[in-house]
Amino acid sequence: MPPKIETRFGRIRVERRVGYGRLYSISMTLLSLALAFLVVALILTSLGLDPIKAFQVIFGVFTKPSLLLESIKQSIPICLAALGLSIAFKMNFWNIGAEGQIYMGMIASTGIVLLHEYYGFFYEWMIMPLMFLTSFLLGGAWCLIPGALKARLGVNEILPTLMLNYVAILIVDFLVHGPWRDPKGYGFPLSIPFPEYAKLNIVLGDPAYTGLLLSILGAAAAFFLLEYTRPGFEIKVVGQSPAVARYAGIHVRSTILLGSFLAGGLAGIGGLSIVSGIIGRLRPGASPGYGYTAIIVAALAGLNPWVIVAVSIFFGGLITAGGALQMSMGIPKAAAQMIQAVIFLMILVGEFIKRYKVTIERPRVGEE
Amino acid sequence: MIEWIESVLGLTIQVGTVYLLASLGEIYAERSGVLNLGLEGIMVMGAALSFIFTLAYGHLAAILISVIAGILMSLILAVMAVYMRLNQTVTGLALTMLGLGLSGFLASPEVRKVILLALNPSLPESLLAIQEAPKLPEIHVPLLSGIPIIGCFFRQNVLVYVSYIAAPLMWFILFKTRPGLSLRSVGENPAAADAMGINVFRVRCLATMISGGFAGLAGAYLFLGFQPFWQEGLTAGKGFIALSLVILSTWNPLRAILGAYLFGGVEVIQYRLQLFGLGALSPYLLAMLPYLAAIAALVAVSIESVRKRIGVPASLGIPYSREE
Repeated sequence: MPPKIETRFGRIRVERRVGYGRLYSISMTLLSLALAFLVVALILTSLGLDPIKAFQVIFGVFTKPSLLLESIKQSIPICLAALGLSIAFKMNFWNIGAEGQIYMGMIASTGIVLLHEYYGFFYEWMIMPLMFLTSFLLGGAWCLIPGALKARLGVNEILPTLMLNYVAILIVDFLVHGPWRDPKGYGFPLSIPFPEYAKLNIVLGDPAYTGLLLSILGAAAAFFLLEYTRPGFEIKVVGQSPAVARYAGIHVRSTILLGSFLAGGLAGIGGLSIVSGIIGRLRPGASPGYGYTAIIVAALAGLNPWVIVAVSIFFGGLITAGGALQMSMGIPKAAAQMIQAVIFLMILVGEFIKRYKVTIERPRVGEE
Repeated sequence: MIEWIESVLGLTIQVGTVYLLASLGEIYAERSGVLNLGLEGIMVMGAALSFIFTLAYGHLAAILISVIAGILMSLILAVMAVYMRLNQTVTGLALTMLGLGLSGFLASPEVRKVILLALNPSLPESLLAIQEAPKLPEIHVPLLSGIPIIGCFFRQNVLVYVSYIAAPLMWFILFKTRPGLSLRSVGENPAAADAMGINVFRVRCLATMISGGFAGLAGAYLFLGFQPFWQEGLTAGKGFIALSLVILSTWNPLRAILGAYLFGGVEVIQYRLQLFGLGALSPYLLAMLPYLAAIAALVAVSIESVRKRIGVPASLGIPYSREE
């Protein structure tokens, strides 16, 4: 008989579940998703909007081939950033800075293209590999700053990663309003459009297919790293308990540095997929919060790399649906963001219900 | 010269008050052991609601609604992070996303029009589409406002005066009264506090609600008292800067005053440098100053020797349960 572990809040009793199956876990997640859409429906109804019509538009995205391709395209940066986050979160490194790391990846990719176009650096065939390399390095370096602050000085990473998001976004603003502005762009804050050789369309000539391949390769890499390599194992041990890691002879500091670098690097490649796949140039606000969506995706997928690929496509669909909702029903684009947040909250509540059993006790007869 | 100092100082106070109001409440939450990362989202909701309700019912109602909304939103966090023992970072972040999404949704021209008409059907058509609201009026304190330099402390709107009173009052309650002691003990050693008969869950829940109320007030002030033009996500990370400020102030409401005005000053320097037309320095680069200053503050506080002297609430971020 295990010891009874429970907490009481008045008549509400909370007990820890000893164990639960995978089927139970999945059905709880689906239930929380359904609850999230119920909450959204309530919000829409209270404002006099038709929720059924809205949901038809949202889920219609996944049935129309052109919109499905768009959803997959939108999912690439989310997926790559979330894969990076799965590494960071496994290490108990709360990287909230994927958004900034994505922006740094965009800067690196655009920088390579401009170096070639303006100054004739590199051969054309070198551009794509160089874009991948530099966006990985710059995104990684951006995450390495809070990583190093944590490893060296013990600064908690949450706030520095957040602050660096705003800084990265401002660097992009500075570049496209200043030195990187397209001279033929009528003064708009845009870089020059990317030429064909710098576009992500190797597979079937479409960034959606190429991106999907990229997402799957990224998932395989993250899976392999975490399951079959020594650094991956060390990352997980550091996340479980730094004290145990130290005792086992793992160099905690360098593990944190490596883990944060890899996490930022993957987000950086996500940035590449935006400028070279989705938009085809650099502009302000190029990421409508993909880095934050990635946090929800990583949490919802339980940090499992393969599940992340699928969940990202769902969220890519939500972002696509945001545009469709605006066009067909006049619902503002911010609705997509709101729906994401409600889903996030409900998923978290679902986690609680998975782990604990809640019962409300009836007052017994004859008892005061 | 005096005029110049007065204008800079006056502006510093105005910006600093945003940070001060937000961090005062957050100090209580963190002292009780709860990190309210939803601050940013609550502030932006406060700003959006104060925008809508000022147009419909005027300033007082708007401020009250923002505070109430802040309390309700932080109640979500309290239930999830205190009672359900979910990860505070993730929960707070979810709340911030909710605030950013919901505020953008509610204050968007289409939805705002529906809400305004529902609240007050007699509103003239011209008010339904505007992006701004009347600013809170300045109140000049007789005599005091006439003093050179210091006078600018007394030519502010009502919420600034609220912050003058709230900061020492919050300090007094936290350090000199019994409820304040209970709150701190819950953050330092929840198990011991529990054994002493303090309801750890209730104290944490209340402290989180206080932080929500102040964050809502800070959002209302940011919009009504400082920049009454609505744009999506107008807080631009000010809630997160306030969170760094709480650490810089070592969880002390009186030190938070200094820290808030310091960060206010950093922002004013940025505006002034832009005005002086330092053409070489892009406004986008200058706008990084507050964020970089926040990181610098975090680094400064965590340097080992400094950290030993100050008290981080020992159970900050750790959910309490009686099980372990």
